[in-house]
Amino acid sequence: MKHFDYLEPGTVDEACGLLKQYNGNARVFAGGSSLTILLKQGFLQPDALINIKKIDELRRIEESGDDLVIGALVTHHDIETSSLLAERLPVLCELEHDVANIRVRNMATVGGNIASGEPLTDLPCVFITLDATVRIANTSGGRTLPLEDVFLDYYETQLGEDEVLTHVVIPALPARSAIDYVRFSSSSVVDKPCIGVAVRMSVEPDGGACREVRIGLGCVAPTPMRARNAEAALEGQPLNDENLQKAARAAAEECDPMDDLRGSERYKREMVAALVRRLASRVYEQARDHGNS
Amino acid sequence: MKKAITMEVNGASCEVEVEPWRTLLDVVREELDLTGAKLGCDIQVCGACTLLVDGKPVSACSVLAVDADGRKVTTVEGLADGDRLHPLQESFMKFGALQCGYCTSGFLLTAKAMLDENPHPDDEQIKSYMGGSFCRCGCYQEIMQAIRGVAQG
Repeated sequence: MKHFDYLEPGTVDEACGLLKQYNGNARVFAGGSSLTILLKQGFLQPDALINIKKIDELRRIEESGDDLVIGALVTHHDIETSSLLAERLPVLCELEHDVANIRVRNMATVGGNIASGEPLTDLPCVFITLDATVRIANTSGGRTLPLEDVFLDYYETQLGEDEVLTHVVIPALPARSAIDYVRFSSSSVVDKPCIGVAVRMSVEPDGGACREVRIGLGCVAPTPMRARNAEAALEGQPLNDENLQKAARAAAEECDPMDDLRGSERYKREMVAALVRRLASRVYEQARDHGNS
Repeated sequence: MKKAITMEVNGASCEVEVEPWRTLLDVVREELDLTGAKLGCDIQVCGACTLLVDGKPVSACSVLAVDADGRKVTTVEGLADGDRLHPLQESFMKFGALQCGYCTSGFLLTAKAMLDENPHPDDEQIKSYMGGSFCRCGCYQEIMQAIRGVAQG
C-alpha cells in the first residue's frame, strides 16, 4: 500500500473539514472492506484516510417520526440482527443473511455500500424502491438527495470531495403495501449477486388496482435503477397475466446488463423478466392479503 | 509516521507502534508472532486470515491494524485454556477435520463466534454461518461433523 496519513475526527464537521484540506486526495474510511482491497491493489492511492468510526452518531438505527433512519456506520450484520428493522422492514434483515460472508457483514457499512458506487450489491436496490433519501454533510451545510440520484456510473457517485454520507432516511410505507426482494446468484452463494430485483406496491381495497408501484433492479446496469416502464405497466391496474407480462418485458428491455462471468447480457435480461414477473405477483398477493394497514 | 495502538490480544494487553497502512494480519503475524492466521485470497473471500475482533469474525487481511486500536483481538492461539484445548479443537482432531491445516484457524475462530452467538445451531444455520470459509483440501464433511459434535453434543 502507498503510504498515507491516518486521521480520526470526532465529529462529522471535523471530517468534512479534513476532507477539504486534502483537496480531493483523502478518502472517507468506514468499514474499509471495499477500500482496503482497492488500496492494496493500488487502484486508489490517497494521501489520507479519514476514519469516521469514532463518530458514534453515525451508528444509529432509529425511528424519527414515521421515518426510519439508518446511519452510515451501521454494518450489514447490524441490519441482519436489528429488532427494529425486523419489525418495520424485515425484507432488509432477510436479504442480509445472503450478503457476502459473516466477516464482511461484520465490517462493511451501509454508508460504504452506497458511497463505493459498487454496482453488484443488494441494499441500494431495495432502498430506492422504498423512496429512500440520503443525508450528505459537507463544509457548506450539507444536502439531501434521493438515493437513486447518488449513483452516476460504475463506482461513481455524486459525493463531492468534502462530503460524507451520514445516513439513509426511509419513509413509512403507505397503507396496504408490501415489499420483497430477490437476490439471484448464478454461481456460489457467497458470490456477489448476478441480479437483484425489489418490488414494492400497495393494492387498492376496491377493485384491487396496484398503486405506488416501485420496481428496483440491481446489478443489471451501471447503477441500481428503477424500472419505470415496468412500473407504469402496472400502476393503476389490477394485476393480471397480460400486464404482468408487459411489466416483465419492459424491465428486461430498460435494464442495461453487461456480459460477464455471472451470465451473458441476454441471459440476464431473460432472468430480469422472470424475476420481475414472479416477484410482482407475490408482492401483489402479500399487499392484497396481508399488507400493512 | 507510526501510531501507537493498544489491543487486548488473547486476554493480554499489548501495545505496538504501527504504520497506518499495515494490516491487522500482518501486525499479528510479524510483530506479535502469532502465526496461526494465514494470508489466503487477500480479498475477504476465503477466511484463512479470520480473527475475532470484539468477538466477531473479520478478515484480518483487510483490517488496518490502527483500526483495531482499543479492541479485543482473539487468535487461534488464544482458544486453548492453558494445556486444555477448546472443545472445537478437540472435535476437529477427533473427526479429522483438516488435512493441510491452512484454513483451520479461520474455521475454528468462525465456529467459536457462531457458537458464542448461538450455542446450538442446526445444520442449516451452521452451513449458512460457515459458508464464507473455504477449505481447499475439501474437508467440509468432517468440519461439519466436528462443529456439529460441539453444537449438538
